[in-house]
Amino acid sequence: MSKPSSTAERLDRAIDDVLDGASPSRAAATARLEPADRPLLRAAGALHGGLAIPLVSPRFEARLGARLSGIGSAPWILRHPGRLIVTGAVGSAVGVGVTAYAVWRNSRRSAPHRALGR
Amino acid sequence: MTLDPRRAPRSGGDPDLPDVLAAQRDRAAFGVIYRRYLDRVYGYCFHLLGDHHDAEDVTERTFVAALAALDGFRDTGATFRSWLFRIAHNQLANALRARSRHQEDHLDAVAEPVEASDPAGIVGTADETRRLRAALRHLSEDRRQVIVLRFVDGLTAREIGLVLERSEGAVRVLQHRALRELAEHLEP
Repeated sequence: MSKPSSTAERLDRAIDDVLDGASPSRAAATARLEPADRPLLRAAGALHGGLAIPLVSPRFEARLGARLSGIGSAPWILRHPGRLIVTGAVGSAVGVGVTAYAVWRNSRRSAPHRALGR
Repeated sequence: MTLDPRRAPRSGGDPDLPDVLAAQRDRAAFGVIYRRYLDRVYGYCFHLLGDHHDAEDVTERTFVAALAALDGFRDTGATFRSWLFRIAHNQLANALRARSRHQEDHLDAVAEPVEASDPAGIVGTADETRRLRAALRHLSEDRRQVIVLRFVDGLTAREIGLVLERSEGAVRVLQHRALRELAEHLEP
């Protein structure tokens, strides 16, 4: 005769169902959870729906990917190459803009000096 | 083949195995595994550390260590992802030890993450996430580990047992107690 499953085992099976998309109430009924344990499955449902994975920053992904591909001596295809291209393009544009501004500002500053020096 | 790493391999077999064997032959194939698990490992680290920079640091250490040790992985019943998360767990333990030495607690100063799996349905999720994360902070570290590995990373009780070096039954009991505690915080 098989050993009757414990509450923790039944709860675990019910959580499997919740993770597979079943509603907590249906999963609780299927796993024959006691009414006192049903709030646990509601908490499980809330965790499944609300505790999502935070986004990894594309810059971090690219940096780590580059480091690992350096170790492995092989180039990898990144998940979001478009983001990197945009990031690179924006970075370059900002760099060009800052340089142009610095040159312009420098020329404005030095112009009166030149005028005074005459 | 596209795998959802959040779905547990319940019917036996390790869905990552072909990619792992390919990566053992040719390191370039590790990119597939990297792309599949980067978010998951990062999510595990972030929910335990509560800080993006620390989570990135531990994620980086995890993948570097995994790549270095990849040839040592054998298909002996443990899934690749339980092996990978075991490495993450060890790196995380080091980071938490270092943090406790510095007596820092970053958890209260954390910016809420952008939710990857719900880009459009933002309504109400930020409050709910905040509430859940606040409730998680009340759990002991081992209970929090079980909840994050189960609900964020989708590992089975058996896989979590391999990660935490506990029996499957002990993980289920931890999970039961953690959910009871969380339910008390979430349903006043």
